[in-house]
Order: sequence, then C-alpha cells, then structure tokens
Amino acid sequence: MASITTAVAAGRGVAVRRRRYMDRKSLVPLLIFLPPSLILFTVFVVLPMVDAGTFSFFQWNGYGPITNFVGFENYADVINHRNFGTAVRNSLIVVAVSLLIQLPLAMWCAIALSERSVSINILRTIFFLPFMLAEVAAGLIWKFVYDGNYGLLPIIGDALGTKMPFVLADKFWVIPAIMLVITWKYFGFHMMIFIAGLQSIPNEVVEAARLDGVKKWQIVRHIKIPMIRSAIVVSVFFAITGALQLFDIIIPLTNGGPSHSSHTIVTFLYQFGILRMKLGFGGAVSVLLFIACVIVALAYRRILFRVEQN
Amino acid sequence: MKRIALAAMLGLMALAPVQAQTVVKYLNIASIPDEVKLMTEAVAEYEAANPGVKVELPFLENEAFKAKLTTLLQSADAPDVFHSWGGGVFYEQAKAGVLRPIEGVLSQEAKDAQGTAGVAAFTAPDGHIYGIARDVAEVVLWYNKALFTQAGVDPESLKTWDGFLAAVQKFKDAGITPLAMGGKDKWPAHFWWSKLVVRLAGQDGFNAAARGEGDGFAGEDFVKAGQFFLQLAQLDPWQEGFQAATYGDASGYFGDGKAAMHLMGDWDYGAMKDNSATKQGIPDDQLGILPFPTIDGGKGDPTDTLGGLSGYLFSKNASDDAVKFIEWYNAKPVQSRFANAGYYIPIVNGAADGMTNPFKVLVAQDINKAHWHALFFDQALGPAVGGVVNDVSADLAANAISAEDAALQVKEAVDDAAN
Repeated sequence: MASITTAVAAGRGVAVRRRRYMDRKSLVPLLIFLPPSLILFTVFVVLPMVDAGTFSFFQWNGYGPITNFVGFENYADVINHRNFGTAVRNSLIVVAVSLLIQLPLAMWCAIALSERSVSINILRTIFFLPFMLAEVAAGLIWKFVYDGNYGLLPIIGDALGTKMPFVLADKFWVIPAIMLVITWKYFGFHMMIFIAGLQSIPNEVVEAARLDGVKKWQIVRHIKIPMIRSAIVVSVFFAITGALQLFDIIIPLTNGGPSHSSHTIVTFLYQFGILRMKLGFGGAVSVLLFIACVIVALAYRRILFRVEQN
Repeated sequence: MKRIALAAMLGLMALAPVQAQTVVKYLNIASIPDEVKLMTEAVAEYEAANPGVKVELPFLENEAFKAKLTTLLQSADAPDVFHSWGGGVFYEQAKAGVLRPIEGVLSQEAKDAQGTAGVAAFTAPDGHIYGIARDVAEVVLWYNKALFTQAGVDPESLKTWDGFLAAVQKFKDAGITPLAMGGKDKWPAHFWWSKLVVRLAGQDGFNAAARGEGDGFAGEDFVKAGQFFLQLAQLDPWQEGFQAATYGDASGYFGDGKAAMHLMGDWDYGAMKDNSATKQGIPDDQLGILPFPTIDGGKGDPTDTLGGLSGYLFSKNASDDAVKFIEWYNAKPVQSRFANAGYYIPIVNGAADGMTNPFKVLVAQDINKAHWHALFFDQALGPAVGGVVNDVSADLAANAISAEDAALQVKEAVDDAAN
C-alpha cells in the first residue's frame, strides 16, 4: 500500500514538474502572440465600450470636452423615447425570424446539399453568395427590387396582373420585406456551418443505420441533428447576437422609415444619437444593448450547460 | 542597421522638397459630374499659378457628409476647408473650437465682395469670422407647364393656399401626381413645414420660438402650420411610395415629367436633369417657378424667402494658403463660371451678373428683394432640433401625426437643447 501511495505521489510530482516546465515553455509564445490581439481588442473594443459607458452619463454633442454630467437622464430619455419601443420590438422580430425561419431553412438546405457533387457545389455557392455581398450593396439591390416605380416588384406584379404595394413605404409591409432580405442574406452562412458539421459525421454511422432499415427522416432526426449539436449551438448564438446588432441592411433600404416604423435598436441609436449629435443619448442606447447581449450570452451558456447535464 | 538608417534618412531628404508643398484639402459635396469638372479645372489653374500649393478635392455625399463631419473635424484627417450651410451646426463647431478664425488673413476685398449678409452668415456669436460665403439658394415651387395644361390648371390660381389645394385636387382628378416628394430623406418634407412657418409666423415669430420664448414652437402659428400641412397631406398629393423615395428619386420623378410640382431648392434645376431617366429632364420652356402660396392673416412678409446661404469653413489647422486659395476660388472670375453653367447662384459681387439661366436669375432677384431670407430650418436650428423638425415634417406629409403633437415635439427639442 505504502509503495503504491509513494508511487502515486512520485507520479504526481512528475506531473507537477512537467506542468511547470510547460508553463515556462508556453510563456514565450504567449508573450509573442497575445499582445497583438490583446492590444487590438483593448483599443478597438474595450476602450470604446468604456467611452460609450462614460458618455451615457453626460450630455455631449461630440465637440469639445465632456463636462455636463446628467446622471441617468439619458437612460430615462431612451426608455421614454416614442420610437424606442418600436425599435426593440423590431429587433425581437428579427431574432424570432432568424431562429424560427432562417435556421430551419438553413438546416433543410444543408441536409439536402451535404453530399459532394458538382451540381450540389454550384447550388451551395449560389446560396452562400448573398452572405459574401456587402450589407450596404445588398440593401441597395433590394431597394431596387422593391421600388414601386422602377423596380422588379411592379414588373412581377404586372406579369401576375395585380398591383404590388410600395412595400418599403408601407408601415405593414416594410417589416416582412426586411425580414425576407435578412433571411436571404444570412441563411447561407448558417447553411455552411451546418454543412461543415454534417460532413464531419462518420459515413459508417449513417451507413449502419441505413442497413438497419432506419428511414431517411429518422436518420436526420436521431443521428444527423444530434451529431451536429455544437454547430447548431454556434449558429443560434450568431443568429441572436447578429439580429440584435442589425444595422447596415436597414439604412439603405428604409433608413428606419416610414415614420420610424422599421428602426432596429442600432439604427435607432444611429438616427437619434449620432446624427442628432446627442452622443450621451447614443451611449445610453449602446449600454442597454450591450447589457441585453451579455444577458443573452450568459443565459444561453447556462441553458446549454443545463441541457448538457441532462 | 546604421547603413539602413542612413539610407532611409537620405531617402527622406530626397523626398523633402515634395513635402514642402502645402496641401489644401477642400471637402465638398458637389455630385454633378460637370460641376466637379469645373472645380478640378479651377484647381489645376490655381496649382499652375502657385507651384507651392496642392489642392485636393475630397468628396462626400450630402447625407454621409453630415454624419461624418463631427468625427472628421476632430481627427488628424480633418479637411482644411469644408462646405457649410451655416446656422446652428456652424455655431456648435465654432463654440467647440474646431474652426479657425480667419479675420486676420481675409483680405478686405474678399470681405467686401461677399456683402454684409455673407460676412454675417459666417460670423459666429463670439464675433469671429470663420468662413467665407459662397452662394445663395432658394426653395421654390417648380412646376411642369405641360402637365398644368393637360390638367387644365391655371398657374395663376395657385397664388393663395386655397387655390393651391384646389389645384392639387384637380391634378388628382386628372390622374396626375400633383407633387413629388423624397420622404425617406425627410428634409424635403421639412421645406413644406418651413415655408408654412415663414408665411404664418414670420421672422419675428420664428426667432422668438427658436429662443424658446412663450409657447415656443408649440405656439398657435406653428400648430397652424402643421394643420395647413395636414390639409395638403390629406389630399394624398405625393407620388405613390414617397416615404421610401430619396430626394434623388423624387427629383428624377419630377424630371421625368411624372409629377406636376416639386417644392425644392433652385439646385434642383440641375439635379432634376441629372436624376431623370433620360438625363435631359424637363426642357426649359416647359419648366416654371411659382411663388409659394400666400396665406390670409399670415404674419410673414410676402417677399420672405426660404433657402440657404452656404459657404466654406476653415478647420482649426487650416493654413493661410487654404484661405488664400478659397479667396481666389471664390472671386468673381471663377465663380461666374459656376453661375453661367447654372449650378448655383454665387454671392460674390458681380459673379451672378452673367447668369443667363432665367430660373436662376429669378431666384437671385427673389433673394435680393426678400425682407427675410430664412435659412433652412434644419440647419439654422442645429442638428438636434433640426432633426426633430425633419421627423415631424415627414410624419405630417404621411398624415401620421397631429399638428399639435408635431408642434409640441419641436418645442420639446428646443427646451431639451437649451438645457
């Protein structure tokens, strides 16, 4: 017994020593590789965040020193703003559409297109193309598509013998129209993540199930989807945070209109904070958005953790 | 290592003569290609005559310009000279110390040539002169004569507000879009509200409200302006989908002969052609300018005009060369070229004399005899209040807000900005 204990202890000593050695060995790469990203992250992410947080307690128009401390007044102004509610509602709609329409569509395409062949590769590229397009360019393209005077939609309407509405000028249609663009733009990205996941599933597993007579749908439901769980987890996370930060597609499409009905939280921030030169107000919006994103991230981790435990 | 350093130093020394050149960056918003061509030609002339100076002409589109300027002026990349509409935004910039006072460099000649109105427009409340006036602009009611004939509307009948509303209805009945409107950009809508305020409240009323006196912008005249605007909006006078149309879209729509009228600045003469499908726009003999309808009981003077008095401002680090260049550029010989081509109406004495474009001549006369030349409200009131004016105007055009609520929102913005 005693000898075993000693042996274990000795073994432990070796492990500890080895770890120390590893630490020293990894210190050099650490010192070389960490600073660039740490500095970039600090300068372009952390400091601006701290700045925005500071601005949010001041009234400031962007020029000169920041002196006019107003406490939580900017936060009160944001929450009482007549268009803030619409902006939050729209952002939540984007989250819902991303999760309930975009991701299932991406999954369906991924499963259909996960085999390798030339025609499938072409289709995959076509679906991925919108994601590679710059957001502003995509917005401008769709502005043209939707344009009721010179666009594509009235041409389609004429062909069908009906008159299409001016969707971007209509308080009701503008939201579905934007959702269509968002889905079109980003589903290819999620599809690619899912395809990568699907291709990592060992062929033998699927083969074996097939030999056992498992139906196609059941293979998807019980083998493929569970096996790309981690890809789905990543996708859902990107979909939520991306939806909360949606900005560049809205500006060229509608600029938040008509009558402020299509603002998201970030276009609201830009319109009423930056363009009005009320940077304190803008700072308050960004802090609220940041808190929302952090809550989502933490809650998501917790939920996942709990699911994993089960 | 030493050798490399030495080589580098020698290299720098070789470059030195090039760097001794002063660079003058003039950030502008000119987007019509032929106008830009005139600008580059003028710059080439100046550079040839002044070998020590290099003039660059960075460009930003109107909306992007407004959004980026604040940051740009406080960065190392600040332009030496930039376009300005004067008013509240200019006062903010002067107060923040991002501008250079130029009274020490500015020649008496250049000062005199702008006239008192020009100098006053670029003098901040602190008494310093920070810029040079370039041009005047007026918002007018452009109309398409062919469509008036087609609908049987007599332009004379639009002299009063009631006559104007009747004409709008007549166009509707004839199946012609009465008015073009770029609702997405919002500022085109604020011309309507501003024009009504100019008519109803007049100079004294507007200035008192801007200072926050009495009921401010929630006062009777301003509510009335909203009500008149709504009277018009309820006739559904704009082109379909106007809320998604930019200024450029609306300008092209009018230029294509699809709308009978367009309330827009005199610059639309060129823009309307440039934005039209054919690039030709409405031919001169089919195009006309109507005075904005008068309103019974309005406190404004019938000669009052709304528009701009814009120019150039100098940023904090601008060199004397920058001022000298603009003095040269803004003098009659260069400015008369822009006047003759019809791009804008130069303020500099005599530069507009050779103008042959009948519309521009008419506008210049209007402004000359105006009792009050009101600056664009969204610029005069500064970005925070001006933004709200644009918002409520767009909402009024869409019949999406009450006149009382609109007036109250503007008043609140004034109170808020005063804090």
